[in-house]
Amino acid sequence: MNILKAILDAFANPIFYSLTLSAATPLLFASLGGLFSEKTGVTNIALEGIMLLGAFSGILGTALFGSPWIGIILAMISGAAAAALHAWASINFQANQIVSATAIILLAQGLTGFLLEPVFGKPGSTEIYDKIPKIELKFLGKGSFLYNMIGSLSPFVYLALILVVVSWFIIYKTKLGLRIIAVGENPEAADTLGVSVYGIRWFGVLMSGLLASLGGAYLSVGELGQFTENMTNGKGFIALAAMILGNWTPKGALFACLLFGAADAMNEQLQSNPSLAIPSSAKPLFNLIPFVITLIVVAGFVGKTRSPAADGVPYEKKG
Amino acid sequence: MKRLLTVLLVLMLVPVFAMAFTVTMVTDTGGLGDQSFNDGTWRGVEMIAEEFDDVEAQVIQSNEQADYVPNLSKAAEMSDVVVAVGFLMVDALEQVAPQYPDVYFIGIDFDLSAAGIPNVKTYTFKEHETAFLAGFLAGAMSESKIVGFIGGIPVPAVVKFQIGYQAGVKMYNKLHNENVQVLIGYTQNFTDSQKGKTMTEAQYSQGADIVFAAAGLCGLGTFEAAKEKGEGYYAIGVDVDQDHLAPGKILTSAMKGITAAAYMGVLDAYEGYFTAGHEELGLEENGVQLSEMKYTKDIIPQWILVEIAGLKAMAKDGEIDIPATEDELKAF
Repeated sequence: MNILKAILDAFANPIFYSLTLSAATPLLFASLGGLFSEKTGVTNIALEGIMLLGAFSGILGTALFGSPWIGIILAMISGAAAAALHAWASINFQANQIVSATAIILLAQGLTGFLLEPVFGKPGSTEIYDKIPKIELKFLGKGSFLYNMIGSLSPFVYLALILVVVSWFIIYKTKLGLRIIAVGENPEAADTLGVSVYGIRWFGVLMSGLLASLGGAYLSVGELGQFTENMTNGKGFIALAAMILGNWTPKGALFACLLFGAADAMNEQLQSNPSLAIPSSAKPLFNLIPFVITLIVVAGFVGKTRSPAADGVPYEKKG
Repeated sequence: MKRLLTVLLVLMLVPVFAMAFTVTMVTDTGGLGDQSFNDGTWRGVEMIAEEFDDVEAQVIQSNEQADYVPNLSKAAEMSDVVVAVGFLMVDALEQVAPQYPDVYFIGIDFDLSAAGIPNVKTYTFKEHETAFLAGFLAGAMSESKIVGFIGGIPVPAVVKFQIGYQAGVKMYNKLHNENVQVLIGYTQNFTDSQKGKTMTEAQYSQGADIVFAAAGLCGLGTFEAAKEKGEGYYAIGVDVDQDHLAPGKILTSAMKGITAAAYMGVLDAYEGYFTAGHEELGLEENGVQLSEMKYTKDIIPQWILVEIAGLKAMAKDGEIDIPATEDELKAF
């Protein structure tokens, strides 16, 4: 029964909730990005690479211009540039979308690893720079339960939550959104009706670059103030899974990311709980909690997920 | 023109190779600049080159594991001593060394003595011994009577750090009749610094006020968490002196003497005292130690430093047998 008590302990600990939010935030940015791209019919598994570029450019901008805010702008530019590469290859040239995205991941890993030394003077990691300050909600009373829970969060967290609503609005409440869905479901029909399939797809892929790079920038200029080699560590792929788990909707992505975040926070709380006498050789198993939960949720609670019909299918302009 | 250049180059190189004692280090994939064993080993090799005029030091970087065998062979063909760095080189070295019986090979952070190759000397470290002192310091400094440990992947070196740390806390509890607890977590990688940070925050929230990270780059997240958390919260660094990465927030660093091992190995070969086999370096050989605590000396009470010095002396004399495995820790 110790395990039950340990789980209850975790839920009673306010930090659990703030850790859930901070673990979910980078995933949420990238998931929303993936969502825009896939809604228009272009798969984008390059999220991982774009996040890494975003994390690197965020610190680069901070180092060059002395402000992490400029770092964020640079991150978004580099994210959009990488996404443009993917769009150009996979939309205009109908390249295999998985291949072109994989190329971007490898490019991002190689480039950021290589540039560390010539730009920052040492491989592995950069110096520590300024980071975006947290928003302190002092009126909650420093030290109170509520303050520990949500009183000291990065502005990125709020931005990610706002973007969920914005994405929902764009996709389901605007003319642009209608076109996005039309192009993702049936590009031939959309084309016939005069919708620019390439244009809409370019928009979707560029959005994915902008959003995923924000998720990467959160890791570097939002959390650490430093870039370390390969610091995204697979988060782009988990974001992709969250997008699918959320059935290609912004609301679904939010819940899926929160679930992954909570599972991760739970992992951290349980591993360190002294009342569970677990040998250290078994501790790494706890890092599997997010994936086990995913399997359970996917198998048990979520109905069949359905991707946009033309997702991953290149479209060739007629005539 | 090109041929002339080649001839000139050869002419320049021949006397150097003919006269100098050449040492070539082959890095593992971490490469120079990892702030850990590659840099540390290179420092040791460089020290020899600075000390003796006729020693030439050079380095070959490995980009992937498939490079190890060709790089070691290339190094062996052009030098007297080859230094191979990192646990993952063990198989490559076993394959290459017998082909070059006239070249000395020095391996850092692994043990190849079982293969019985007459021109190979390897070094490992007693990580648990330096972690023991770090654990004692953490136990003594903790206000909350809870301290934390965060490991990367539980490879042998990391587990030894963990066991030694726990043993140090246990020692403090015994001597001072306290009950300081150790929280333990593993990030299961060496690169995700955000995870290092959140895990540290989780341990702080569970009452820990000092967290020791033996988790590669994840440790940078631990330092950041300590800085954010502010007064009364500390971290402990690993492998090399990391104290300067967050001055005043890193109580100490549990260092292993990679530099000293490389230095000693090359020196022995240079002076003709090379002996094949394996050496495990601990406190007694000055192979592991705590950092000098440049930024934290003044906040650590004198009595703690005195007791640590005492424990270190006792461990050196063999009066304390510091555990290295989970079973030994239970019996400790």
